[in-house]
Amino acid sequence: MSLAGGGVVRGSGRCAGLAVCVLFLALFSSDLVPVTTAQTNPDEVPRLTGVWDGGPRARRVNGPNMPWVPGENFPVLNERGLAYQATFDEAIAPKYDCVPSASPALQYDPYMMEVTQWPDRVLFRYEKDDQIRTVWLDGRETPTTEFTVQGFSTGHYEDGALLVETTNFVFDIAGFDDYNGIPSSQQKRVTERYWRDGDDLRMTLTVEDPMFLREPVSYTTRWLPGAEGYQLQAYNCDPFEAGHPRKYLVPKYR
Amino acid sequence: MKALLWISGATLAVTILIMSVPAVAHHASGPFYDSEKRVEAVGTVTKFVFRNPHSFLYLDSANADGTTTAWEVEMGTAVMMSRRGWTPDTIQAGDEVKFVGQPSRAPGTFGVCCAELTRPDGSPLRP
Repeated sequence: MSLAGGGVVRGSGRCAGLAVCVLFLALFSSDLVPVTTAQTNPDEVPRLTGVWDGGPRARRVNGPNMPWVPGENFPVLNERGLAYQATFDEAIAPKYDCVPSASPALQYDPYMMEVTQWPDRVLFRYEKDDQIRTVWLDGRETPTTEFTVQGFSTGHYEDGALLVETTNFVFDIAGFDDYNGIPSSQQKRVTERYWRDGDDLRMTLTVEDPMFLREPVSYTTRWLPGAEGYQLQAYNCDPFEAGHPRKYLVPKYR
Repeated sequence: MKALLWISGATLAVTILIMSVPAVAHHASGPFYDSEKRVEAVGTVTKFVFRNPHSFLYLDSANADGTTTAWEVEMGTAVMMSRRGWTPDTIQAGDEVKFVGQPSRAPGTFGVCCAELTRPDGSPLRP
């Protein structure tokens, strides 16, 4: 009996100690550990962490007919979009000065990508152009006056998928599709849905941009698991080599 | 016989694919290079620049009239080429290289794209 009683006392002591520890952690650990407010049922969180191969092994390489396929998902441009496309000059494409690729092209560039899931965010690191995107899961508001090349991304998990919404892009003369000279505006809104299909990582991406597109357009693609131990290489875009081919163009404008 | 010819053709196609330089992936080649034309030459490498977003191979080629043409062969991104075993030292200054590819469009330029590179005797140039 005494043993039992002692056991109860000792157990109560452990419970009290545990409660203090939990309280301490709750009060003081917020600066040490990423905090989540948007994390949902663990069953809804797909395992996306890893290095993913978006190269020719996984899918057809990008080009004038990929991923925007004429007769299938090629965008219908409004009058403004058509006018910009008609005057587009290959030489002005920002990539020839090492301006990084952005959504919706970045996800389809034929390179490796690394995904890291944290409780409060998901990091997408792209081998192409050394880009990093942060998708915030903690419910924070999109800043109203910050516009960047990669925009501002928020997301949440739902039904075994990661849903991402990105806005606040800067205007880009080739920001929808540089192969076809289609721009994108500060009103571009990109949504992405990532999920696992066996070993594959799959994504459906949708673009809305009422400044240039008559209606939203989407493509679906996949990545394969990267080779074991592969580490993303530095891209270190060289501005001279990036712009070097310009001299081979017959100039559209002088 | 037909089957033999087909197999030979298929083998040749695969061989060309294997020997070809990694394609340009950063931009479309059409605005810069004429895919309806072919240019070929043998030259001495003056420089091999292994970079992103394009690598470039620079060669001097002697012409019949005694002049020299400085060719610039655009290649793929270093990141992708390195996955196939290419390094900055795969081709070195002084190497003799033969290329067959698409010429650049702007008059007076000597760019080449989408080239097949070999040693002058036709043997493959591989990492």
